[in-house]
Amino acid sequence: MNLSRLARLTVTAIALAAPSADAQDVMVDKSEIRFVAKQLGVNVDGRFRKWKASVVFLPSDLAKSKAEFDIDLASIDLASEDSEKEIRATLWFDTAKFPVAHFSSTAIKDLGGDKYEIAGALTIKGVKRDVVVPIAIRKDAAGNRVGEGTFTLKRLDFNIGTGMWADTTTVTNEVAVRIRIVLPPAA
Amino acid sequence: MLRFVDARYGGVAIALHWLTVVLVVANLTLGVSMVPLPLSPRKLQWYAWHKWIGITVFIVTCLRLAWRKSHRPPPLVPMPDWQRRVADTSHLLLYTLLTLIPISGWLYSSSTGVQVVYLGLFPLPDLVPKDRTLATILKWTHYGLNSTLFALVVVHALAALKHHFIDRDGTLTRMLPVEWTRSRRS
Repeated sequence: MNLSRLARLTVTAIALAAPSADAQDVMVDKSEIRFVAKQLGVNVDGRFRKWKASVVFLPSDLAKSKAEFDIDLASIDLASEDSEKEIRATLWFDTAKFPVAHFSSTAIKDLGGDKYEIAGALTIKGVKRDVVVPIAIRKDAAGNRVGEGTFTLKRLDFNIGTGMWADTTTVTNEVAVRIRIVLPPAA
Repeated sequence: MLRFVDARYGGVAIALHWLTVVLVVANLTLGVSMVPLPLSPRKLQWYAWHKWIGITVFIVTCLRLAWRKSHRPPPLVPMPDWQRRVADTSHLLLYTLLTLIPISGWLYSSSTGVQVVYLGLFPLPDLVPKDRTLATILKWTHYGLNSTLFALVVVHALAALKHHFIDRDGTLTRMLPVEWTRSRRS
């Protein structure tokens, strides 16, 4: 018991000694960026197959913590190839001109009880908006840190789905974005 | 001819039969029209209607089968044995297709990850998880079953017309809502 505590303290000491602002590797295969919108009363969900994240998460030093995301919009996974083709086109994401959605955190707030609020700027299709993403953190069986949260964005704020698609009775303006980010155990 | 006139289907069976005709013709037309459309709100709306009509066909067919169980249909008019066998087989096949096709469509919708919400109000459970390979298989299954149904409906209608205009027997009139023929009950 004493030995293991000593070992843990040593690890902590080493970790503190190391450059602490290093980004921690997000376990991409365990993580997910999904979304749900309602289409004619039917929930239609999808996800992004390709994205990159750089996360520095230090519960003891939230000022130094940061999350950056780059999402490859063309990598969208939807109901069919038809709808994926349409969503990459100009009326929706226009991925030829705007291939990447970017999120950059500006402030992380501790809400207590392993709940946090990540404020940041989300840029899609050249439009930058402030968003707040609530994240709850838990540990999975392997000790990995799993951060999960959902926030709602309004697609029309970002000119996503314009022209004939602008009518929100076909596809709702509100899109729920669900994120799961898995980080390895804290060093 | 007079003796066949009384051997008609009952009102409920006749109503359900013609309701099925309207729904199936509408949905086959809608189905072949909507698929080549470029993706648009209209296409999504037509797909939704197509699914609602399909589920309605399923419900109506279940009602018909239940009704048929308690209300024996009138016997076929006298005809050669082979025709009787063909008629019985094709009727059985029609009922089978009217049951299987909506289910295949529902399965297909589930496999693309799009839940069926009947009339926009009643969410039906997803029968299979989203799977693109399965979706391709189910799409062609749905198409194949419908092609079979279309062919069978054409044969069914032509046979009825042949019985009416060439054999001049009571096959068609026993399924008509009013007695068209001169042989009104007398």
